[in-house]
Amino acid sequence: MVRRIVRARVADHPAADDLVQETLVRVLGAAERVEPGMLEPYAIVTARHVVASMWKEQDRQRRNQHRVADLRLPDAPDEDLLQGEDRAAVAQALKHLSERERRTLLAHELHGQDTRSLADELGSTAGAVAAQLNRTRARLRVEYLLALEHTEPFSDRCRPVLIALSSGDRRRQREVDAGRHLLECDLCARLSHPLLARGQSRDDELRIPIRADADVVLARQGVRELAARVGFSGTDLTVIATAVSEVSRNIVRFADAGEVVVELLKEPRPGVRIVARDTGPGIPDVERALTDGFSTYHGLGLGLPGARRLMDEFAVVSEVARGTTVTMTKWCQEG
Amino acid sequence: MATGPALVSILRQGPYLIASIHTALDDSQLIRFQKDLIDQIGRYRSRGVIIDVAALDVLDSFGSRTLRNIAEMARLRGALTVIVGIQPDVAFAMVSLGMGTGSVHAALDLEEGLEYLDSRLPAKDVGRAVSAPG
Amino acid sequence: MNQEHTLTDAVAADFPTLDRQDEHQLLPQLVAHLRQHRTKLRQEWATRIHDAHLLDAMTPQEMSTETTSVYDNYVEVLETGSVEALQHYARDLSERIIPRGVETHEVVGIVLLLRDVLARSLFEKYQRDFSLLNRVLDAYEPAANRIANTVAVSFVDERERVIRQQQDAIKELSTPVLPVRERLLILPIIGVLDSERAKQLTEQLLTGIRTHRAKVVVIDITGAPDVDETVANHLVQTVDASRLMGASVIITGLSPEIAQTLVTIGVDLSKMNTIGDLQGGLEEAERLLGYTVARRDGSGG
Ligand SMILES: [Zn+2]
Repeated sequence: MVRRIVRARVADHPAADDLVQETLVRVLGAAERVEPGMLEPYAIVTARHVVASMWKEQDRQRRNQHRVADLRLPDAPDEDLLQGEDRAAVAQALKHLSERERRTLLAHELHGQDTRSLADELGSTAGAVAAQLNRTRARLRVEYLLALEHTEPFSDRCRPVLIALSSGDRRRQREVDAGRHLLECDLCARLSHPLLARGQSRDDELRIPIRADADVVLARQGVRELAARVGFSGTDLTVIATAVSEVSRNIVRFADAGEVVVELLKEPRPGVRIVARDTGPGIPDVERALTDGFSTYHGLGLGLPGARRLMDEFAVVSEVARGTTVTMTKWCQEG
Repeated sequence: MATGPALVSILRQGPYLIASIHTALDDSQLIRFQKDLIDQIGRYRSRGVIIDVAALDVLDSFGSRTLRNIAEMARLRGALTVIVGIQPDVAFAMVSLGMGTGSVHAALDLEEGLEYLDSRLPAKDVGRAVSAPG
Repeated sequence: MNQEHTLTDAVAADFPTLDRQDEHQLLPQLVAHLRQHRTKLRQEWATRIHDAHLLDAMTPQEMSTETTSVYDNYVEVLETGSVEALQHYARDLSERIIPRGVETHEVVGIVLLLRDVLARSLFEKYQRDFSLLNRVLDAYEPAANRIANTVAVSFVDERERVIRQQQDAIKELSTPVLPVRERLLILPIIGVLDSERAKQLTEQLLTGIRTHRAKVVVIDITGAPDVDETVANHLVQTVDASRLMGASVIITGLSPEIAQTLVTIGVDLSKMNTIGDLQGGLEEAERLLGYTVARRDGSGG
């Protein structure tokens, strides 16, 4: 019975790359062989392994195969040690949830109670319960990762950022300026890998870290490929790639680290938005930097004004000693 | 260093050098290309240089500037430069960006580039080009 | 009681196969009726179209052909319940009549008229049995409305498609790149240039340069009434981009006003090859091409 559920889930939701869910699915798969009292420690070990595999960024297909085929108890030599460590991590993570959140999550994931009957019990609606479950899972992932790191966030901004990433809520990510925080905060940057690995199935967004010259080429090739999907003409694709080349070069020249995020837009019409952010020294006088002829490196100073001419919308926000964010948009021509 | 196919090739044809860029180059690769090309112009006392950029996906401010620099350095070494193979969309993006190749001459393709050099260089040089082994 | 019985018998005599319990049998009976009275009903419909001044753009002969087709398609939809064939026909018809200025309200109007003509005929047929009439109309009306809807939607779709097609064609026409002779293109700019059109024009010219291996391009702007700064900028960019493709540009038809605009935005006119009129421009182009050929012949010989 349990095995059937596992198979059904794996088959029906190949993209259900939910860390907690995957863990619990494995627990379900092994439930017949595990003593009831052992469930929690087993879940802990499994979660650890799932996280480890995500850190290694194994491709999803292999993970899926693994999920279906290999439901054995992991038999790592240092299992006892890990078990103790992870038990503590999960216990600590669960502490951050309210009793009600915890009960609801376990009822849903472990006992398979559906959202409708949960909603009846809780005096809520199925939709609200599902949304609450998503938020709970998002927080649990974050707390679990923090506990594994044996650390508390460095700043007040970390938790909101991590939870926004964990839940895949893009609007929230913008509100808390998650992209910038990841550039500034090593802890969150590290933790964002397993969190974002879940979201890799998003095919309308592309994130390219910019550190060296070669990344500039990757960025412009990446944007060209992605933007081609919304119907830009060949000329527009080259125009966009050229603008991306300019802004990513600025990152390499002025900042140690940065990234280019490309996002396809649908409303009000098809388009592409590019955000280039860095943790460089910042631009003291943005107005001047947007003037032709202004040059701070051995070049023609055409980076920003040139890119602005190529795009439909262009905005620069810069803070000295903190970094620069360039946001630019190109819309598809109609017809 | 590179083990894959060459990113660029520089071939000697009589008094000319024909430099072809085979793939998108990043800034450091462009700088290296510039250095190699200028070195060879000096070594072979070339009279004309054709740079084939048909494979470039983008000619942004740095790329355009590098081509200009090469042409200027080549001129100081006595060689005339012509850029060939700029794609229509690349040309469009270059001028939208506010870049051009300045006074550097551009031609449609290799054939046109050779014709341009032949027409601009003294007949004895061109004669050498024609009689040189292809 | 007796009389009612007689009425029912009379209807039953009209439709011997009619099973009054079976609603599914109603539509086939309607179809049979409409086929039987096809000529008369179609004629009545055509008269009402004429009276309503719909489709005035069509000749009586065309009217006759089209109304027959619409009628038959209409009945076929009632019979099969599938609007697919009607959809095709409606698109086809729309394609034929749209260029003649037929409006949406006319097309919807004639279909509604047909619906009414047929409904009236059904009313006459079944008025003796009111409950049967009701059921007949219940079966007929949804189908008839669906037909009206299908025709209207097909027409509107087709019209939008035609409009789009025409717009594309106009775009194409308005920026023709004309190969005059080997290696020479003329680009006459006619009409108002906005940013979008200017961009399109440049793209077309650049592609044209490659396709025709052009070495000289004559851009004639005699036909462009307004050249503001934006357009002037595009013009300069077009000249530069053409150079990057290895083609020289000659601009003809430059009015003093446009020349002034170019100077205002900082264009060095001495670096642009401008010639007063198209004829002069073409002569200059040939000189440029001839010059090139002469040099090559001279050096190669
Ligand atoms: Zn943080």
